[in-house]
Amino acid sequence: MFNKLKSFYNSVNSFDSLQTTDGNHVNDAAATKSSTANASIRNVSLFSLSSNNTHTEKGPPLKHRYTRPQFLQLNTDDEIQVSADHIIRPIIVPRDVNKLPWNSGYAETINAGKSARNEDQASLCKGLLRAILSPESIALKIADMMPTVPGNPRQVPINSQQRQVNGESGDSSQVLKNETNLDSQTLKKDEFANKEVDLAKSDPLTDSVMEEKLVCANDLISPSTPLPSDVVDSIKNEILENVFQTPPSSPELSKPAALVEESLPWVYFGLFDGHAGSGVAVAASNTLHKIVQEKLQNIADILITFGLKDVDEKEEEIVENSTTTINSSSFNHNRLTSKGSVIVNHDNHLPSDTIIPLFQPAIDKIVTVDALIIGALELAFWEMDNQIALDKRKYRMSGGCTALVALFILGKLYIANAGDSRAIVHKNGDIIPMSFDFTPESERERIKYLGLLRPEFLGNEFTHLEFIRRPTRRDLGKRLLFRDAFMTGWAYKTITIEDLKVPLVYGEGKRSRVLVTIGVTRGFGDHELKAQNSDVYIKPFLTPQPEVRVLDLAKDENLTDSDVLIMGTDGLWDITTNEKTVEIVQKSLEHFPANDSQRFKYRYISAAQDLVMHSRGKSKEKGKGWRTSDNLQATIDDISVFVIPLKPYRQEYLKWKEARAIVQKEYMRS
Amino acid sequence: MSYAYLFKYIIIGDTGVGKSCLLLQFTDKRFQPVHDLTIGVEFGARMITIDGKQIKLQIWDTAGQEAFRSITRSYYRGAAGALLVYDITRRDTFNHLTTWLEDARQHSNSNMVIMLIGNKSDLESRREVKKEEGEAFAREHGLIFMETSAKTAANVEEAFINTAKEIYEKIQEGVFDINNEANGIKIGPQHSPTNTSLPLSGSGSSQGGGCC
Repeated sequence: MFNKLKSFYNSVNSFDSLQTTDGNHVNDAAATKSSTANASIRNVSLFSLSSNNTHTEKGPPLKHRYTRPQFLQLNTDDEIQVSADHIIRPIIVPRDVNKLPWNSGYAETINAGKSARNEDQASLCKGLLRAILSPESIALKIADMMPTVPGNPRQVPINSQQRQVNGESGDSSQVLKNETNLDSQTLKKDEFANKEVDLAKSDPLTDSVMEEKLVCANDLISPSTPLPSDVVDSIKNEILENVFQTPPSSPELSKPAALVEESLPWVYFGLFDGHAGSGVAVAASNTLHKIVQEKLQNIADILITFGLKDVDEKEEEIVENSTTTINSSSFNHNRLTSKGSVIVNHDNHLPSDTIIPLFQPAIDKIVTVDALIIGALELAFWEMDNQIALDKRKYRMSGGCTALVALFILGKLYIANAGDSRAIVHKNGDIIPMSFDFTPESERERIKYLGLLRPEFLGNEFTHLEFIRRPTRRDLGKRLLFRDAFMTGWAYKTITIEDLKVPLVYGEGKRSRVLVTIGVTRGFGDHELKAQNSDVYIKPFLTPQPEVRVLDLAKDENLTDSDVLIMGTDGLWDITTNEKTVEIVQKSLEHFPANDSQRFKYRYISAAQDLVMHSRGKSKEKGKGWRTSDNLQATIDDISVFVIPLKPYRQEYLKWKEARAIVQKEYMRS
Repeated sequence: MSYAYLFKYIIIGDTGVGKSCLLLQFTDKRFQPVHDLTIGVEFGARMITIDGKQIKLQIWDTAGQEAFRSITRSYYRGAAGALLVYDITRRDTFNHLTTWLEDARQHSNSNMVIMLIGNKSDLESRREVKKEEGEAFAREHGLIFMETSAKTAANVEEAFINTAKEIYEKIQEGVFDINNEANGIKIGPQHSPTNTSLPLSGSGSSQGGGCC
């Protein structure tokens, strides 16, 4: 992240140190040089980081060692050093294309000297949610998800007391208990009809035991990987034990055949653009996917059950009619759900935002599977930030970072974004923005409003008021156009001494800053960040809250191998427009056509590399700077890019669904 | 591990001539018959001794594919040595040498030492380019020349080490400005006359001052 911390280049003289294998910490003296060398990029700042600038070898330990993304396999400090060559700025791509799902592409390059290290981080994870469900419980859950159909009385009474699910999903499943009616059209339900007696007596635990398995980066497993038999056995035994602890109402209950071990694969890609040190970005790239896994696992039974169910047109209609859209911010052209998250409905003829109401306690509240996954992502982002806050007390963990996450699950793509990295989808010839750039400029209103509500956050040095120009002493007593946080228009105000304070959001466009210090407004970390000569913390104005957008891929039958998700840190987007990005990617992909089976797998890596190349440009001679191929100024920031094909995931999902349907049928027959 | 100098090399040449295999043989002393396509750039490093001095070779292995040519060119800068490789069993790879050489001369610093390598010398029966032709080309363009086999390891050590010797001699002659990192040479931290003039990325290492 370049220039995000204005003062950083001038004042901070420390970075996370390399931790050697024998535990020594060596300070990166070069960092000081590189930052001062580039100090002229911005004017000398009035502010600096008040803490975190004196880490020495005797400081607290590191929680995570600095590395590059695991899938790059830069295993030695030597290799990391070479990748950090500020003069050449090599574009690093994965050594083994098979390390990324679907031969996805990734490429990165380091900045031109603003920080000793590449402060961008990336991670990926292929995970598997597991739940052991009984056919009965699946039937119940399917029943729960059905929207109310008038004139179709409920056939299966459910007592919430009889149902418990681990952790938070306990809440979720109780939420599911409601007065909705079972849709009698469901074949599955009919097949279960003769088991209703048993159902009423069934033990609460049979539907609640879940096994989680998280496999990351170097150890990808296929979604069809069966649960190891010993694990299954142990789970079954556990269940049986529990069953027998309750009064055994009938011997049939203990039949292992009543259990269905179900799993749901998901794939995650993350980009984290660090500033003021690499510590937080490293922490997020090591941890966030684990928290996401945990949050998803908590609702695994619901997600899996949903995944087994087919959606029919009728339900969609009901949903269409009952969905409320609340527009809570000015930036979205897409439909917003009540949480401010966006369902991208791109194709008019394809209802890509199919919403199956899980729960309708009132007309205006609808809980959908989308909403549960969005909630899981939002919660994970907040928890990540909380954990970083705690870790900053114990460990050397400097700075902050933005976060951009792509989650492929249940045939859909969920993009969660907090910061100014960007994701776009290119499919069927269209560009679909999947994220919004959160910057001081774009979040001016939110930040000013917070300043209005909580003046104590401004110390005595900043004002939340916005003036048409910065007032000076000469303006005292004169009238100047201004607007308060609650205003959209302008009005006159007589300037008082109070108005001479520094504006909370200062500067325009890319140069705008919060508290004259920071150029991003969302993400993780920065808890210790203050404006100099004051006790004004910046953190209250920052938030880990992501905006989540959803794109249905399962329904898009027209996906081709050229349809991709492109994720990049701002180093890419500062130079390369969405349109140019798509143009470069398509050109790269054409170099590796499908009939070239040997080279086809490299096409997305090559596309990612070409994107980084375009924004990095070339440096012909030392001191002349980096120029793009059009001889325009190129970025000197770190750049990281994913290019992810969409079609393979869709195929994977459809296969999974097919396989699970067969399993279900088998169980139902037995 | 401490070193007196670090030399940066680049390996260039057509796709499939054995660039990555030469690097692997030199750094790991092993041969990989089936090698993945190199996309962009790969790295390797090894310590050698010349004139009683420890010298670290940092080798950048580039993609030979035409599609990556523009990216590969951006790695020429800042290399002290280049291994220009062709395949003695494929005449077209020899014919393309002129283009490679022009590219290298245009995008690298003028003092870069270039070693011409005819690889796959173990495949004598399939030879299409005579050794004499390689020698003639080298003479004509002022290059050093060797035939190697990444498979049998024949001459691989020599190729890398002879290039290093040539660079070392140029340093002794004062041809290289060793304080300019863009020339592909770094002085080891403990040998530096003034520590403050250390190149940026060279001072962050954790291994006794050694860098890459």
